[in-house]
Amino acid sequence: MRLTTDGVDRVDLTYPPEAEEFRAELRAWLAASVPAAWTAPGFWGSLDEDAAFDLRRDWERGKALAGFGGIDWPVEYGGRGGTPAMAAIADEELVRARAPRSVNTLGLTFLAPTVMAVGTSAQKTEIIGPMLRNEVIWCQGFSEPDAGSDLAALRTHGERDGDVFVVNGQKVWTTFAGRGDRIFTLVRTEPGSSRHRGLSLLLVDMRAPGVEVRPIRQLSGVSEFGEVFFTDVRVPASACVGGLGNGWATAMLLLSFERGGSALGQYTAFRRAYDQIVDVARALGRDGDPVLRDRLAARLVELECLRYHALHVLTEVERGGDLGAASSVTKLQWSQAYQGLFETFDEVLGADVALTRPLADLDLTDLRRESFWTRSVTIWGGSSQVQRSIVAERVLGLPRGS
Amino acid sequence: MFFALTDEQRALAASVRELLADRFDLSAVRAVFTDPAADGHPPDLWKAIGEQGWLSVCVPVEHGGLGLGLLDAQVVAREFGAGVVPGPWAATVLAGEAVRRCGGPEQAATVLGPLGAGDLVATVALRGPGGGFGTDGVAVRADEAGHLHGVASGVEYAAIARLLVVAAEGGAGIGLYLVDGGAPGVVVEPRAGFDGTTRLAALTFTGAPATRLPGSDAAAFADLLRRGAVLAAADLVGVARVALGRTVAYDRERIQFGRPVGAFQALAHHLADLHVAVTMAEHAVLYAAHAIDTDAPDADLATAVAKSKANQAAGDATAAMIQYHGGTGYTWEHDTHFFYKRAKRLIGAFGDTREHHARVAHLTVGPVR
Repeated sequence: MRLTTDGVDRVDLTYPPEAEEFRAELRAWLAASVPAAWTAPGFWGSLDEDAAFDLRRDWERGKALAGFGGIDWPVEYGGRGGTPAMAAIADEELVRARAPRSVNTLGLTFLAPTVMAVGTSAQKTEIIGPMLRNEVIWCQGFSEPDAGSDLAALRTHGERDGDVFVVNGQKVWTTFAGRGDRIFTLVRTEPGSSRHRGLSLLLVDMRAPGVEVRPIRQLSGVSEFGEVFFTDVRVPASACVGGLGNGWATAMLLLSFERGGSALGQYTAFRRAYDQIVDVARALGRDGDPVLRDRLAARLVELECLRYHALHVLTEVERGGDLGAASSVTKLQWSQAYQGLFETFDEVLGADVALTRPLADLDLTDLRRESFWTRSVTIWGGSSQVQRSIVAERVLGLPRGS
Repeated sequence: MFFALTDEQRALAASVRELLADRFDLSAVRAVFTDPAADGHPPDLWKAIGEQGWLSVCVPVEHGGLGLGLLDAQVVAREFGAGVVPGPWAATVLAGEAVRRCGGPEQAATVLGPLGAGDLVATVALRGPGGGFGTDGVAVRADEAGHLHGVASGVEYAAIARLLVVAAEGGAGIGLYLVDGGAPGVVVEPRAGFDGTTRLAALTFTGAPATRLPGSDAAAFADLLRRGAVLAAADLVGVARVALGRTVAYDRERIQFGRPVGAFQALAHHLADLHVAVTMAEHAVLYAAHAIDTDAPDADLATAVAKSKANQAAGDATAAMIQYHGGTGYTWEHDTHFFYKRAKRLIGAFGDTREHHARVAHLTVGPVR
C-alpha cells in the first residue's frame, strides 16, 4: 500500500535486500552448524560448566572464522563491515537458531569498539583479532565490593614502579572470572586521587602472578561470576587504553557502546520464552483461566513494546543518532518486561510452582534456571534504581536527588 | 528500515500544536468543559480544523483529501489529546473511514468531499448499552426493508452529527449503515458524562431509514473498531505525554523541605517509570497505525497492544499528574482534571484494557477451550 507521493522516509519495517541476503546466508550457515542435539531442552544444563564453556567458545570461534563475527565492525579490524541492521538481524537469527550464546560478550560489546576508537595501533592489532576468534576471552573489572552502582568509589589502585603499575585491590561480579584470559579493569593510578579523577583503564593478564580468582555461586546454582583479587600484580603502563589518568572518560565511552545494541535479539528470546510458558499453561490445563490469560497478555504487551522500541532505536542508530541517556529507557523496559514475564511463569504454575517436573513429560529445568536469572537483570549493567535516576535527571530534567 | 515520525509528520504535529496554542488554549477548553449544556462544538475551531485539512488526512485525493493513512491521522489525534481538544474530529474521521473503506462510489463522492472540508459533522454508533466493542456488543438490527431498530450508547456528538454510521445486525450479518442525522425514527438523547471535552448521547432507532454500506461486513466492522482503537490510543498518548511533562515542570519548581519535590526519588523514580511507559505507548501506537495501513498480519495484535499500553500509560500519568500537584491538582480550577477525565473516557473507548488483553490472549495463547 503506497500512502504518499514521496514514497520515502515513512515507516518501513523491511530491511534492504543486502541485509536480507545476509540473513539468508547466516540462517543457512546456522542450520548447518548448530547440531540438533544442542537445541534440545535441557542440553546446556546437562553439561558440566567447563565443558559447556569450551563448547560455546569453540563454536563461536568457528562462527567468526566463517565470517559471521563483528558484523558491523570495519573490515580493517576483521569485521564484516555491515550495518547496524545486519547486526540486529544476526542477533535475531542466532536466537532463532538456538545457537550457543557468546562467551566473549564483554570484550565484543565494550572493549573492542573502545579500542577501535581510542586504542593505539599496536592495541588494535593485538586485541581485536584474537578476541574475534576467541583466542582471548575478556573479563570486565569494574565493580568492587564498595563500588557497585557508585563506580567512582572504586579503590583498586596501581603504584607506578618504572614502566609498570603494581596493582592491588579487589573486583567483584566479574563474569567468567574463572575462565577468562584477560581483564579490562578500572584502576586508581594516581595516588591520593578521588572519585572520577586519577583512574586508568588497564588490561591485565588473568594468569599473571598475583591474580587470584574465587568463583561466586549464584542464586541459580551456577558460577558464571567471580571475585578477582590483585596482589602486587605488575602491569605494564603501556597496557592502558585511552590514556593514563583518563580512565573515567574511557569507561564512560566504553559503557556507551551498550547503547548501540538493538534489543531485537532479546525480544526474539523473550518471545520464545513467552510461547514456552504458554505451552506450560496448556500442558497443565490452565490456558483457559481468565486471570492467567489476562496476566499473560499484560506481559506480551510489554514484550511487543520492547520490539517496537528496538525498531525505533535501530532507526536512530542507523541515522547516527546519539541515544545518550535514552538507553536507560531501553534497559528498564527489557529488564522489567523479562523479569515480569517469569513472574507470570510462576503464576501459571500455581500450586505446582515448586516442581521442576510437574508432569512426567514436562521438564521445566531450563525455564526455572532462566526465571532465577531474571532476578539479576535488573541489577547488573546499572540497576533499575540507577536507571530511573538517570532518566529522571538527564531525560526529564528533574533536579539531582540528594 | 525506518520506524519514527518523518520530518513531514513532525511538521504536521507542530502545526496542530501551534494553532491550538494560538487559537484554542486551555482557557478555551475550560469554557467548553464547564458548559455541558452547550453542544461542545466551538465553530471557529471546527472551521480552522477544516481549513487546515486535518479532517481530510485519510480522504482520498480524488475527493479533495490528502490521501494519507492512519499513521498521519494518529499524528493529529495525538496533538488533539495533548490539547484536550473538544469537538467531533475523531468521530467524523472514523465515519469517513467507514465510507472510504466500504462505501460505493456515489456514497464516497457525496460524503468524503464535504467531510474532509469540514462541512459535514459525522459520527459512529457502534455499540449498545453495556455492550463491548465487537459484534456481540451491537444492539441495533436492520429489518428486511433496511430500516434500523434498537439502541446505541455513548455516541460522540450525535446531537450535531448530520451523518451517522451505525453498526447493525442485518440479514447478511453485521454491517455498517448510513443514517441521516435528522431522519425520522432516530431519537437522540444527550447523556451526562464527566468529560467535558466531548458530548455523548444515546440513540434510539425505531424504523429509521438507512443505507447499508455495500462493502461492509464483519471484517469491515472489526477494521473500523481497530482504527477507532488506534485513534483513541493516539489521543491517550498525547494526553499522557502532556500530563507527564506538566507534572515534571511543576515538580521542578515546587519547593518543600527546602528543595524541589522532583528531587525526591519517591517522585522522580515514578516519573521515570511513567516516561518509559509513555515512550512505549508512543511506539506502540505508531506501529499499530502502520500495521493497519499496510494490512500487516499482526495488525490485530498490534492494535490490542497499543490500546492496552496507551490505556495504562495515560491512566497512570494522569493519576500521577493529580497526585504530584498535591492539593492544587485536586481542584476544579486546575487543568489536571481535563487530562484525567479525558483519559478515563478514552480508556473505555474502543475497548478497555480487559477487552484488549482478552484479544491478545486469544491471539497468542489461543481460543478458550
